[in-house]
Amino acid sequence: MSISIQNISKRFGSFVALDGINLDIPTGELVALLGPSGCGKTTLLRIIAGMETADAGEVLFSGREATHLHARDRNVGFVFQHYALFRHMTVFENVAFGLRVKPRKERPAEAEIKKRVMDLLGLVQLDWLAERYPSQLSGGQRQRIALARALAVEPKVLLLDEPFGALDTKVRKELRRWLRRLHDEMHISSVFVTHDQEEALEVADRVVVMNHGRIEQIGSPDEVYSNPASPFVYQFLGNVNVFHSRVHGAWAEVGRDEAAAGGESGEGGETLAFVRPHEIDIERGPVAGGLEAEVQDVHPIGPVVRVELAHASELIEVELTRERADALGLAKGQHVWLKPRQVKVFAAPEYLLEDGGSGI
Amino acid sequence: MSFRRANAEPRWVRLLLTAVALGFLALFLGLPLLAVFVEALAAGVPAYLAALVEPETRHAVLLSLLIALIVLPFNVLFGVAAAWAIARFDFKGKSLLITLIDLPFAVSPVVAGMLFILLFGARGWFGPWLSEHDFRIIFAVPGMLIATLFITFPFVARELIPLMQTQGKDEEEAAVSLGASGWQMFWRVTLPNIKWGLLYGVILANARALGEFGAVSVVSGHIRGETNTLPLHVEILYNEYNAVGAFAAASVLALLALVTLVAKTIVEWRMHKETQMLEADLPPEKTQ
Repeated sequence: MSISIQNISKRFGSFVALDGINLDIPTGELVALLGPSGCGKTTLLRIIAGMETADAGEVLFSGREATHLHARDRNVGFVFQHYALFRHMTVFENVAFGLRVKPRKERPAEAEIKKRVMDLLGLVQLDWLAERYPSQLSGGQRQRIALARALAVEPKVLLLDEPFGALDTKVRKELRRWLRRLHDEMHISSVFVTHDQEEALEVADRVVVMNHGRIEQIGSPDEVYSNPASPFVYQFLGNVNVFHSRVHGAWAEVGRDEAAAGGESGEGGETLAFVRPHEIDIERGPVAGGLEAEVQDVHPIGPVVRVELAHASELIEVELTRERADALGLAKGQHVWLKPRQVKVFAAPEYLLEDGGSGI
Repeated sequence: MSFRRANAEPRWVRLLLTAVALGFLALFLGLPLLAVFVEALAAGVPAYLAALVEPETRHAVLLSLLIALIVLPFNVLFGVAAAWAIARFDFKGKSLLITLIDLPFAVSPVVAGMLFILLFGARGWFGPWLSEHDFRIIFAVPGMLIATLFITFPFVARELIPLMQTQGKDEEEAAVSLGASGWQMFWRVTLPNIKWGLLYGVILANARALGEFGAVSVVSGHIRGETNTLPLHVEILYNEYNAVGAFAAASVLALLALVTLVAKTIVEWRMHKETQMLEADLPPEKTQ
């Protein structure tokens, strides 16, 4: 089932949670709503589920008006961050709930319920836990049961609110791969909310980046990462160095030429150049268009080496491969020259001007 | 072990404090309780039993139980409704409602009784209308029911509000998203989650309903064999120098209090166990 969100707005008192959101989710797609806390992503998800009503705008399911449809009639599966399993019911009864509350005419027979529940528990690989209570399960197990419960009513849409937010890193990674597989097997549309960019980029077909109740960018994970539409998206998706034309003249000039060609920056106005730490090369000798900087610190972190450098009291972060770092043999206090491999320039918005040189 | 924690008090201080606490309890709780039974049995067991089956005493016991029995369902209904409204929804006047729920705790029971005289008494606001329609509230059982309801109203709501607030509405929302109707959600999800808290509130309200003196005394009119509850009857018997009768009736109240205490402890223990179960640390996830 496709979901179409048209011009949705929502306020809580004077706080604008959503401001004219438009979004189309085609059937079968797995979409991530990504943004910092308070950006409105959870509110949007709850409006799709019918747990919150929008002040203005419409929600369409398969092209049909669903704005005023009650949550129980929407046929959506909802998965909560803190699982929301029924604590006084066994795992089996939790999963069976959606079947048992159906009107008498539609309710499957007991044998059928048992079979469906055990099939679902098999799908989430937890059929051996059927008689346990939620309190006897680990966090990852609870979330998988919550998923099985949501899937029991055969929803057309699966909505997940920070589904892995309360789990530790290792379990989170396992579960999100598993969610991806599950989504592909079930042929449903899924929307999940997250503030973890890695999670969104890894799992989703499409990423919707939100900020302050608005959509900043919609695109494939690769698009939003390598071609961010706004300074916010650049900074939110991974580490980034921000250079001011005012402070880092030479560099921003290089960037400005490119940007001017692309028509992206204002004429002659102040600009910001965004460069990811791994897109900067370090040279020991002067290079044309290079920025001179002093090495402040060298941290080897797993497979990469993070180098902190200073240029005119501004901090710059560079990530090198171990091999490159070994070849350079950097030492504290050493003067080196930096050259960006890829720069993206934006006209400087007011709110970023105060930040100084580094967005890290 | 001869080690002790650096912040522990010396042994004698702990012993002294414990002794003071226990002594206080014995003096102000144990001794009076003992006195009730000693006085009640002072003339021997047969006299004690005779005092209990005396018609007016029996009537008082039954009336007290009847009032509690009628008042408690209302308490459950009001308490759950109020707690639900407060814990689940945001609305104007919510803090005022919370304050109002506490009103019966703040107002002296005698004042509460006077209030109902003022409303329903012969010269009260609704008095003339009531007497026209030949309906007695004051100096009759309906008045005593209203007064008891007023006094016991906060117990269930007070117990449920924090419980429902900590539990949150996630489970209820999950139930609705799975297709449950409002009733199905309430019976299958809400009620099972609050049942121990509800029972705890009911026990407290019940104890208060049985023991209430002030408010009920004002509206009852002390008509023997008609509007005398057990606590009122104790007073009457005592004022008539019928010590055995008074203390026998009092011993029934004391026994009811002990039963309440045991029930309360059991429910508390169950509640504690459930919260512990919910807050238990999650075992580490095993990778299969």
